[in-house]
Amino acid sequence: MKRKAHSGKGMIPKNEGRVGLLFVLPFLLGFLLFNIFPLVYQIVLSLTNFNTLDGRNASTFVGLKNFISVFRDPIALASYLRTFVYVLVFVCGINVAGLLVALALHREFYGKRIVTTLILIPYVSNIVAVAIVWLFLFNPFDGPVNKLIKLMGVQSPPYWFGGVNGSLPMIALVAVWHNIAFQTIVILAALQEVPKELHEACTIDGGSALQRFVNVTFPLITPALFFLVVTSTFEAFANYSYCRVLTNGGPGNSSRLISLNIYQQAFTYNRYSFAAAQTILLFIVILLLTRLQWKGQNKWVYYQM
Amino acid sequence: MEGTEQVGLLPNVGDHRHLRVLRKALVSFLLLAFALTMVFPLLFMVSSSFKSNAEVFEKPFEFFPEKPYLENYNKIFHNEYYFRWYVNSVIVVVITVLARTFLVTLAAYAFSRLRFRGREGIFLGLLATMMIPYDTTIVARFLMYKYIGIIDTLWAIFLPATFDVYFIFMMRQFLRGIPFELSEAAYIDGCNHFRIYYRIILPLAVPALLTMALFTFIWVWNDFVNPYVFISSIDKQLVTVGLQYFQGRAGANYALQMAGGTFGVLFPLIIFIFSQKSFVQGIATSGLKG
Repeated sequence: MKRKAHSGKGMIPKNEGRVGLLFVLPFLLGFLLFNIFPLVYQIVLSLTNFNTLDGRNASTFVGLKNFISVFRDPIALASYLRTFVYVLVFVCGINVAGLLVALALHREFYGKRIVTTLILIPYVSNIVAVAIVWLFLFNPFDGPVNKLIKLMGVQSPPYWFGGVNGSLPMIALVAVWHNIAFQTIVILAALQEVPKELHEACTIDGGSALQRFVNVTFPLITPALFFLVVTSTFEAFANYSYCRVLTNGGPGNSSRLISLNIYQQAFTYNRYSFAAAQTILLFIVILLLTRLQWKGQNKWVYYQM
Repeated sequence: MEGTEQVGLLPNVGDHRHLRVLRKALVSFLLLAFALTMVFPLLFMVSSSFKSNAEVFEKPFEFFPEKPYLENYNKIFHNEYYFRWYVNSVIVVVITVLARTFLVTLAAYAFSRLRFRGREGIFLGLLATMMIPYDTTIVARFLMYKYIGIIDTLWAIFLPATFDVYFIFMMRQFLRGIPFELSEAAYIDGCNHFRIYYRIILPLAVPALLTMALFTFIWVWNDFVNPYVFISSIDKQLVTVGLQYFQGRAGANYALQMAGGTFGVLFPLIIFIFSQKSFVQGIATSGLKG
């Protein structure tokens, strides 16, 4: 890509080519070492037999044996399945809620600054601190939330994080609460880009507020929403820290997501190759899902040309 | 609001304006209530940290305890590790910011303002790697850091963090916006490329550098996975995982846990409040460029 400002002949420094490479080299070398090499190594790991701490048979090539073991492991398979449910709940939850909050913030109201600040605060707060307070608030036995529910006359309030049915949705809820500020800001920025004239035109044509949203606002913010759906899907799969600090997969295996399963296999049981195979499978799933999303975008994303 | 109908021949401006104000007040009230609900868990944490453990259970919703109980904070200040974790986190954040400021901007400068063979190809290759989930390399990273001897040191945190493609992308975008005539004029005056980068481009990129520093700070400070996997000695830990250890040690003393949590979010919170505008801008532009 030649830049216009560079087109003046004789102005181009002759050594640009060499200097350019020299400037990207330090970053590139570090990048190859710390990002590309681990990827290649992880693929190699998944095909070998590094499944003990001392690495006996670590360099034995075993082909797809680790992958076959994954498909024979009911706990791993159930964790994949649970992860899909979690991703679906998280992605829908955070984007729908983010859209609603952004639409509300887009109206005129007093105290815009303070409200925006308050809504953003969870996003910058530490995950473990978040876990400490959420686990206490929703403690099934003597947490304030259940005390309140009991006061209102409910005899057996839910167990929240401690319940077989509650743990997974609760993790998703905390993750949505923690990250929603990101979606809100991006959607709000997109809403502010929607030209006022289009709204006025729609109003003159007799459109109601709902029609205005469906016919004007929504199509114009679909590119931003598409970006958010893709990135939040990606983010939803990177759920290890939430899973670990909130429930550690429990009670039982009810909130064991595949990330937790992977970290446990690798760093608790030292089954490195088995864990590596699980990550490669997860990677393939994420790639396919992203491809699907890109293919599906022309069904609902509206690009202005 | 634009949809309100007009009744009668003469517009009753007065009523209309009242209605508008009333409506705006109602929206403001609802939004404030919502915002307070959003921060409620954190407010609760701060409030509980000034109570004794018994009070936390007996009067959980008494937000301002009659007499603030300071023993929790006293315990934190005398904790053998807490201060260390704070210092470690600060060290890691500062080194990461500095390393990124130098290496990332140097590469971004070349990608945006110098022409060399393979530039677009290399850049697209870098972008493509953003599709690789972090978990996909975690096992290999652990073993690799072990072999090269940086496991259980702070190096295992900031060294890999330096080479972050996201910020290459962001910086390149920003540096492209600086007029090219500036570089050309300096070149004619006899500056070499490094001097142009160092003396002209870098000072102009300060707003973008601050945004990068801000996000680096918040992400590195709140990161759980890396310190959890790569650092095993408790005295070398960072705030996040240290806090988890602290939580375990505090056991059923929830008031103490809350004080630990409050202290852990304090620093990023202060930074955030002072930089909210560039924070919001940083996120908003990330979406529009996508």
